[in-house]
Amino acid sequence: MQESSNRPLHGANESGLQYAKHIKYWRRNLKTYLPHHYTSNDSNRLTLGFFILSALDILGDLQPALSAEERQGYIKWVYSCQIPTGGFRGSPGTDFGSLRNDGNAVWDPPTVPATYFALGTLALLGDDLQGVKRREILIWLTRMQRPDGSFGETLGLGDRIEGGNDTRFGYLSTGIRWMLRGTVEGPVDGVPDVDVDQFVKCIRDSETYDGGISEDSLHEAHAGFTCCAVSALSLVDRLPLPANFAPKADDRIRGVSNLPLMLHWLTARQTMTLDEEDALDTYADETDSTATCHDGHAFLPHNYTSEAGRKSIESQPTSHFEMSWVGMNGRANKIADTCYAWWSCAPLKLLGHLELVNKKPIRRWLLDKTQHIVGGFGKLPGYPPDIYHSYLGLITLSMFGETGLQDVDPALCISTRAKEHLESLPWRKAVVGEPEPSKAETVPDLSYMTITGG
Amino acid sequence: MPILYGANPTWADVTPVPQEDGGPHPLAAIAYAEEYSEAMGYLRAVMAANEYSQRVLGLTEHIISLNPAHYTVWLYRAKVLDQIGANLADEISWLNPTALQHLKNYQIWHHRQTIIDKLGSPEGEGPFISTMLEQDSKNYHVWSYRQWLVKRFDLFDEAELAWTESMIEADARNNSAWNHRWFLVVGRKGGQALEESIVDREIQYAKAAIRKAPQNQSPWNYLGGVVRRAQLPASSLKDFVLEFADLDEPDKVFSSHALDLLADIYTQDEDKKDEARKALDLLAVKYDPIRAHYWNYRKGLLDSSPAAQQIA
Ligand SMILES: [Zn+2]
Repeated sequence: MQESSNRPLHGANESGLQYAKHIKYWRRNLKTYLPHHYTSNDSNRLTLGFFILSALDILGDLQPALSAEERQGYIKWVYSCQIPTGGFRGSPGTDFGSLRNDGNAVWDPPTVPATYFALGTLALLGDDLQGVKRREILIWLTRMQRPDGSFGETLGLGDRIEGGNDTRFGYLSTGIRWMLRGTVEGPVDGVPDVDVDQFVKCIRDSETYDGGISEDSLHEAHAGFTCCAVSALSLVDRLPLPANFAPKADDRIRGVSNLPLMLHWLTARQTMTLDEEDALDTYADETDSTATCHDGHAFLPHNYTSEAGRKSIESQPTSHFEMSWVGMNGRANKIADTCYAWWSCAPLKLLGHLELVNKKPIRRWLLDKTQHIVGGFGKLPGYPPDIYHSYLGLITLSMFGETGLQDVDPALCISTRAKEHLESLPWRKAVVGEPEPSKAETVPDLSYMTITGG
Repeated sequence: MPILYGANPTWADVTPVPQEDGGPHPLAAIAYAEEYSEAMGYLRAVMAANEYSQRVLGLTEHIISLNPAHYTVWLYRAKVLDQIGANLADEISWLNPTALQHLKNYQIWHHRQTIIDKLGSPEGEGPFISTMLEQDSKNYHVWSYRQWLVKRFDLFDEAELAWTESMIEADARNNSAWNHRWFLVVGRKGGQALEESIVDREIQYAKAAIRKAPQNQSPWNYLGGVVRRAQLPASSLKDFVLEFADLDEPDKVFSSHALDLLADIYTQDEDKKDEARKALDLLAVKYDPIRAHYWNYRKGLLDSSPAAQQIA
């Protein structure tokens, strides 16, 4: 690692969000063809569409960017992805048009991600969702849940639930449920509910020994799965309650069984390993040096045993690393990556503890290191921007309170404005009642003292 | 651009189905290569007709090479393999290089599971996984797949544990390898408690790794996990922790993780709140300032009422 790359920028080069460039970047994504390397995302065009429109929304540019005719056109396109029997396909690529029949419908199925992002996009565009087959979606959702409580991505042959049983699909399923029926539990209008208790148990089963959430029982903790799990728990109103929180206390099963440990794990995602050069191969080098430990003080070697270790120590400076930039990673001993700013910080926000990370240097890392000169964000410093990292970088800054960006809802990953639009819809009010007051004051401040105890 | 299907007599009986893009304002429209557009047109046509044949197998292979995240093409391919009675070993031979080309793809692993499950044998999977891990030793999909394999074929044995040890030895900071050890040790027992001898062995193993690299978070997390799982008090690790962080010698701290654990041990002792505070201060100011907010929060909890400190 170059020493110079860790020095703070001088004077006039104050970190800043390049609004104009971001708007330009996102408008280009909206109005011109995406380059052909997006072909590997062709099956997830609704997801990409959601990111594009939502980014413009967060930038406050959705109104100026769209004519009334374009707005209606995009709404129409989203509806064109609706399956006649309910739910949305990921892209027009699987649509057989007039050839569709019961015999081939299984190859053109609705998917959980597409349905979530379709509903989100319609909300962003101000549609009233009256054209959505809501009842059918809710029935389908109950068929997407497995006996273990997890949700799949889509139904295959013989109604087999396909796709992983990890929290991604659980998150998006509970997101769909929240949008269409809030947090009301039990049947609504004769449509049965999913099994929320079993879902929460499934999440608890993915809790890891170090405090995160993994893809499956006993697998490795990962910030993406952790964020999806915590968001889902928030959307089904099953986050832990504070010890002294009497008004709503009940005996419903809740998720995150060891909150202090999860806070420990989430804050441990802050890292100084920012460049690929930093994340050097630690193969056969088990020593502690500035080359292998970027996460805090450069510890002097206690002892070392390998030749690679000796060389590594001799070649590295032993000074402290300055805290100009702090990145976030998604797993222990991994390099920082723009998307994990969101996956690691959003759960902290939902758990009422975003203040436990130092937002300033994380913001500087995003703005100075992964923000791209053409707008958008790359995965790592020097990487070209892509839709996924650009969206998650932007929405993280919004959650941090960046001036000029619209407020966002961390559970839905969408602007507060779009969320409130959903909550204002008469059909939804009839099911859910009036919008609940902001959760901000009711999040738990669980003052459990110790991580190892209990 | 080569036209692979339109001018090919083998496909003359098929009329491709063009993509309908829902009006003049499509979202996230992609500048498809002509090759992809054409192949997709034929894929829609054969899917709509539920054709299961050798030529369709080739077509799915072509689509997968261009868009490996196409979820239904994988499900369709599995059905084709089934219907034409394809040799599943050949399918694995094709999957191997395909997986190497698409290291971050998810569907490929799901498909592999389906095939290996049907073949009913894990033979050859070990070497293949090693090849994958040579590309990226922390690839989440690969480790998850290995865990599926261990479960499916009940490979919770000494050989698997030895392999995991070799992975940790090669890179003590490979947290995936540490987690795999946990998967083996705890998973083998189902939900049951670990025998005392196993607990002891795991504690010694983690301690030895920490002595080599005290600032490596993976074995510390592992050690904490084992101690919690065995319901041992954190204080049982106090002597070990003092090897790396002793408040009497605040300039000779060799590991922030040791200091963290020491703070936790002191926190649980009503008479050691000042020591806990001192350890957390050292972390916030000197040894782990990157997480200063978190250490200060932990310090703040020292003063909160005992009632609020209990897990409900
Ligand atoms: Zn990323």
